[in-house]
Amino acid sequence: MIRFSNVTKQYDNDVVLKNLSLNVDKGEMVYLTGPSGAGKSTLLKLIYCAERPDIGQITVANWDIGKIKQSTIPFLRRNVGIVFQDFRLLENKTVFENIALALRIHNLNTQTIREQVNAVLREVKLSQKAKTYPPHLSGGEQQRVVIARAMVSKPTVLLADEPTGNLDDDTSNSIIALFREINARGTTVVIATHNHELYHGTGRRVLHLNNKNIEQESIG
Amino acid sequence: MNIVRYSLKTALKSIWQEKWINFLTILSISIAMSVIGIFAILIMNIDSAVQHWTRNFGVVVYLYDEITEEEKLKLKERFDSDEDISEVSFTSREDALQDVRRALGGNAVIMDDFNVNPLPSSFSLTLRGDLLKPDIVMEKAQIINAFKGVEDVQYGEKWLMALHEFSRALKTGALAVCAAIFIATTFITYNTIKIFFYRRKDEIETMKLLGTTRSYIRLPFLIEGFVIGFFGGLLSSGTIFALHSFLTSGAASFMPAIDSYLSVMPVAIYILIPAAGALMSVMGSLIAVGKIRY
Repeated sequence: MIRFSNVTKQYDNDVVLKNLSLNVDKGEMVYLTGPSGAGKSTLLKLIYCAERPDIGQITVANWDIGKIKQSTIPFLRRNVGIVFQDFRLLENKTVFENIALALRIHNLNTQTIREQVNAVLREVKLSQKAKTYPPHLSGGEQQRVVIARAMVSKPTVLLADEPTGNLDDDTSNSIIALFREINARGTTVVIATHNHELYHGTGRRVLHLNNKNIEQESIG
Repeated sequence: MNIVRYSLKTALKSIWQEKWINFLTILSISIAMSVIGIFAILIMNIDSAVQHWTRNFGVVVYLYDEITEEEKLKLKERFDSDEDISEVSFTSREDALQDVRRALGGNAVIMDDFNVNPLPSSFSLTLRGDLLKPDIVMEKAQIINAFKGVEDVQYGEKWLMALHEFSRALKTGALAVCAAIFIATTFITYNTIKIFFYRRKDEIETMKLLGTTRSYIRLPFLIEGFVIGFFGGLLSSGTIFALHSFLTSGAASFMPAIDSYLSVMPVAIYILIPAAGALMSVMGSLIAVGKIRY
């Protein structure tokens, strides 16, 4: 599903990733860990094409990231759900509208959008908050809205960048449980985190990013 | 279909939310468009004014003293049958002398010093209004000059040239002002839409990450630009209509001369101005939204 072959990425003269290769299979749930500045976010950005590799090849669900046209990027992103640490929710839109936006761009009709958004709100247990605006939600609730928005269009890949960064342990556990549920339905999930408690004892593959490359691979 | 509905909804919502900025933009566009409209009226009316000023413009054909009656008659027939000539009148040598005496009034005695009448007989020709352009009149004069019995052809070439130079300069100036205002109007919308674009920058960034296409992001801004430009133009049409009505009814009642210079205002201009406003604004919006990069 995701393949990196000898990928190098640098910003000006600062090399962030060097000669990195990795392979994430379809339906796999992988943790990406490493110290701050190790390149976790850059690696995720390369997957959703916010950045392009300087050297090497990246393929995501058969799209070649190095060669993909600007006009095709939106269609790649519709297959990649993204959960941001800073949520990126639109504060002037309700929870319902925030999630619906991900479906509107698919040009679905209003009825279908309503049904699918309500269904995903039930899954993340936020049905009561549908008409609430994001600033009136707790951090955990906001993160669940972001996850709902990322999963509502049923992407093939779900990326999460420090999804529990600002959350307490209980909330973090409930968020990870949500990711497991999503993965159980066949979605490939990549979670970038520096919190080893999140992957400890999960039995999932953990990629340790350090010194511009994957230094170690283990089972959590 | 949903993209159009979404874009319309977003654009109208933004117009309402930012009503004061939009109102001021519409007002600015309407002022600019009104100036364009006034210059358009000016350009349209220059020709009618020039025709008005030159309607009595004549070409005088002086004849040789030795010309026979038969040749004179032949010339008259030629002038009468010429479609370019709307009026022909003949002045005999005697009539010309009388005219000069009348013009000289008390000083007419100086004409007594002449033993013989020095004035030639002549034809006065009035050319069709649409032919009163320096090069056409000159060509016509040259043709007539070659007719048998014609000694000289005179017309107010300097005056005609000056009038046409003046009209051309006025038209060029008006077009230049229109072009400058056209750019300014585009720039007004560009600025407004750029502000809205920056205000929604975070939202747009998020939409891009969700997989929104460029057209989906751009369309609401283009619709907003269209609405702003259209209403700016509409307001301007109203202003021009009021101004034209005032000039043709109000002003003309105490300045009758002005009425004869004002040509009928084509109705199309009231449609063209909002259309031009909308076009310029959409152009400004397009530049403001620019190339969206992923």
